[in-house]
Amino acid sequence: MLFEVHDESIPLDLLDDHAWSELVACFNGPMWAVARAAGLGAADASDAVQGAWLRLVESVDRIRDPRAVGAWLMTTTRREALRLGRKAGQEFPADPPDLYGHPTLAAPDPTTEIVDADYGRTLWSRVSRLSEPCRTMLRLFALNPDVRYAQVAARMHIPVGSVGPTRSRCSAKLRTLLAEDPLEC
Amino acid sequence: MSADDAALETYMLAAMRLAAQADPAPGRLAADAMAALAMRLPGCVVAAPADLTAASGARAGGKPQMHRFAADDTTLDVETTITEGRLEIAGQVSPPPAPDAYVEVRTPHVTKVRVPSPDGQFAVAGLPPGWVSVAYHRPSDPPVVTRWLRVRA
Repeated sequence: MLFEVHDESIPLDLLDDHAWSELVACFNGPMWAVARAAGLGAADASDAVQGAWLRLVESVDRIRDPRAVGAWLMTTTRREALRLGRKAGQEFPADPPDLYGHPTLAAPDPTTEIVDADYGRTLWSRVSRLSEPCRTMLRLFALNPDVRYAQVAARMHIPVGSVGPTRSRCSAKLRTLLAEDPLEC
Repeated sequence: MSADDAALETYMLAAMRLAAQADPAPGRLAADAMAALAMRLPGCVVAAPADLTAASGARAGGKPQMHRFAADDTTLDVETTITEGRLEIAGQVSPPPAPDAYVEVRTPHVTKVRVPSPDGQFAVAGLPPGWVSVAYHRPSDPPVVTRWLRVRA
């Protein structure tokens, strides 16, 4: 868990500036990373992150489990990013089932707990074990947040239409490596 | 690729970038997040979009965009327009407001107050594009606030 709640009996509607600034310090960076990884440019990603904070303000009176706030923020950031990205015609894959529903704390995505630098270092250690083209492709996307599919295609000498499917296959291989050997870092 | 796989792929890429410090968040982002807390109205009633597709945070593209929000027996119609890079809001509250009612048109950095006309109309110009919400303050009932709406050119 990224954010430690000191007293779980304290409802979030009593959050003050100090508690909120702790939340911001803890989650703003990961939320930004999620918005950017969803394919947004810098301006749209800023809007997605701020939108998620505003959604939390909208919903704070309904929050019953403060331990879920991090997952909720990350889930909401991704939803906002997909919504804004779809408007902007971004090219990254996205197939959310319901973009317009109001997110609730009943359904934060538990997999958001991996949005963490430590977990990222574990992933990097597995990337080096991948064969080509996966090793190069995942590095390109991870180290060049604004890279476009056309640039990746030109760099790797593959058709533009193959970039998305190849990237997904490589991510799946990375997940398989991690599942086979989850503890080694 | 399933929706779950797409989400996981996004979170993995985000984690790798965090580890590599490849794309740090801009400094102003924290100030924006802090500003969000100041937008809270304790005890307010959140008005949901009555037309979900229209209220999806569309880019205005120079044309007015209509959004309807509803809560309890109150309806707020909000028309957004981007003119020369600034956001204009024209709206109407229904039913017609009580004499002491007022409307706040809020962005995370600028809030403007208007007293609606007897038939409920109000207008604000010169706001920064981005996230906007309308708060309708009623003398005898909790304020009604629209869900946040993103408006860009």
